[in-house]
Amino acid sequence: MMTAAVATPAKTAIRTEGLSVSYNGKPALKSVNIEFYENTVTALIGPSGCGKSTLLRALNRMNDRIPDAVTQGKVFVNGINIYDRGVNLTRLRREVGMVFQKPNPFPMTIFENVALGPRLHYGLRGRALEEVVEDALRKAALWDEVKDDLKKKSGLALSGGQQQRLCIARMLAVQPRILLMDEPCSALDPISTQKIEELIVELGKQYTVIVVTHNLQQAARISQYTGFLMYGELIEWGETRQLFERPQRQETEDYIRGRFG
Amino acid sequence: MWRIRLLDHLVQAATWMAGGLLILTIVAVFYYLLAESRYAFTRKFPYGFRIALQSPDSEYRDEVSMDPTASLLATHREGTDELDDAEDATRLPPHEELASMQSLVTATAQTSDPAQLRADELFRDCMRAPKTAEQGERFLLLAFAMPSYTGKTMELAWEPDVAFEPEFAPYEFRLRLLRAPKGISIEPIEINLNQQPRGRITLPVWKAHSQQEWLNGYLFELEARPTTTTTVATLQQFFKPDWAPTILYARFGMLPLLLSTLLITLLAITFATPLGLAAAVYLSEQASPRIREWFKPILEILAAIPTVVLGYFGVVLVAPALQKLFGEALQLTSGRGLLATALMMTVFILPTVISLSEDALRAVPNSLREGAEALGLTLAECVRLILLPAAKSGLIAAVLLAIARVMGETMIVWILSGGTPVMPDFSSPSAALATLVKPTRAIPDTIAIEMGNVEFESPHYGHLFLLGLTLFVLTLFINLLGFAYRKRAQLQF
Repeated sequence: MMTAAVATPAKTAIRTEGLSVSYNGKPALKSVNIEFYENTVTALIGPSGCGKSTLLRALNRMNDRIPDAVTQGKVFVNGINIYDRGVNLTRLRREVGMVFQKPNPFPMTIFENVALGPRLHYGLRGRALEEVVEDALRKAALWDEVKDDLKKKSGLALSGGQQQRLCIARMLAVQPRILLMDEPCSALDPISTQKIEELIVELGKQYTVIVVTHNLQQAARISQYTGFLMYGELIEWGETRQLFERPQRQETEDYIRGRFG
Repeated sequence: MWRIRLLDHLVQAATWMAGGLLILTIVAVFYYLLAESRYAFTRKFPYGFRIALQSPDSEYRDEVSMDPTASLLATHREGTDELDDAEDATRLPPHEELASMQSLVTATAQTSDPAQLRADELFRDCMRAPKTAEQGERFLLLAFAMPSYTGKTMELAWEPDVAFEPEFAPYEFRLRLLRAPKGISIEPIEINLNQQPRGRITLPVWKAHSQQEWLNGYLFELEARPTTTTTVATLQQFFKPDWAPTILYARFGMLPLLLSTLLITLLAITFATPLGLAAAVYLSEQASPRIREWFKPILEILAAIPTVVLGYFGVVLVAPALQKLFGEALQLTSGRGLLATALMMTVFILPTVISLSEDALRAVPNSLREGAEALGLTLAECVRLILLPAAKSGLIAAVLLAIARVMGETMIVWILSGGTPVMPDFSSPSAALATLVKPTRAIPDTIAIEMGNVEFESPHYGHLFLLGLTLFVLTLFINLLGFAYRKRAQLQF
């Protein structure tokens, strides 16, 4: 079993201040204050409907897509409040990449899937583009499996686990510094899950990774920090080992011991 | 338990029956069109040449039309013209009468053996060949001058009958000299009338002094040899550029109608596709649910406007506007024509295109939009790079179904086309403009207009069904193509 070493917290990559989100008037997230550190993996756990996905999506303003969502509070990414007026969403998302629960490769070739971002954002062409694509696929541990039919095979023709790694490669190709992952393994089989987990640990050395999961063992295996949410509130957060071994709050302990959820 | 089983069986039976009925309908329509269009192939292709012996200084010398009394060597089906009785009754006038005139005479006979000719059986005008002739038809033609004729030469002139165009007839026509009168030396004459449909040759004068001597004059023969079978000839003519079904020498070339239908469709689709696609993208990607709720019923109302109403709307609004725009440049008497039709077709088809395209776009899973947005793509980039390619099959299906609907739409063309079959001409910009704006005639309105007063089970009737068959095959093909694409769109995700 992998154990993630606790690194000395370096710099804060994202900090939220009184972040609240409501859908159609119903609060989904209540005044959350949390920090995510650079080059660490942070897991967000909690029962279904507790707001962990909402929190994740608030970090790169994906909730803007939902017409009735109202967000209050502040989210600082590299010191800038992303909910300020005049924030460039394209640049924000270049900085903060995201992977979803269900793999969503675009209906085009593997190469095109990965090349789309760098081509649009950095105007890369030809050799330089191919290098970026190869680099991203290598980082996503997919290169060896797809290098032979990179430009022939559709992204949709891959297996579920491969599709999810393709989505990770697609995200990495844009060169973000913060990676958001919304239950990236929940739609995958155990072997694919193991591969993605290894990948997350590996990525955690270079990126700020935030993973939403409802699998407690997974959170313990891959993260250095963990936040526990319930009823839209952040009950507790801190170093993973500490949270799992000596939780400060009764709710956390009940959840971790499996008394509900 | 058994009741549920029975219900299952009933549902299954109903499904099979509905499917079978649909297929049966298509097969039945196809069979009906095919069966009725057989009358197109029962036709004897009519032809007619005027051939006359003229004086070189004849007053008709420089005119287009020849001596009106010239022999008309023609064949048409019995009953297709008013001439049948006249043809049978016309005989050459008595010798005394002719001899008193300053005249040249051509007379025709239908006997195939020149030796059996009798002077009193000669016809002077309007001649038909035997209907049973299979190996081609022959007319015999006697030419001579009366004793009172004073000229030094005489001239044999020929031309196609009015409205007869030899290039549309599946025959090889030859005019040859069978026999010159005794004592006159002349080179053999054989003229291919397909290559040289009109002309004249000079002959030495030969005078007939009595009625018996007529038979010793110049003996010419017009031979019409079929170049192919009736079926092939009918089909060949069907793809020629001339639609003139009601004249004596009827021509059923549907190319102008087909091209007009295709042009109208092309124009309407060219207008409707970008507009419809833009509206569909707006509705599915940008519009708030409230706007969409308003827009959808409006689309349905638009789609439900009767095409007659659309047609007359075009007559009242679009045609006058076009006439104002192009009237002076093209000497238009009305704005009805190809462009007016195509514009109203665009209005007719737009709701369908929007509705189907929107369905296709909304069938693209939301996860792709989220993925694109998380990757930092703007909405325009997302639409262009992800959604349109992803919805491609459905969008193509939408356009193909729109094409099929425009092709078959009758009322709008009927009211707005102007009703003149014209071959499109794109040889110069001004010709192209005229083609696009001026009146035209497409397949559906031709069927609608002409079916009403066509003679039942005549070749014309058969040709209208052949037109219907053409349209049916065309739209069926496009519908099937659209169906295949829709199927692919459904399988994709």
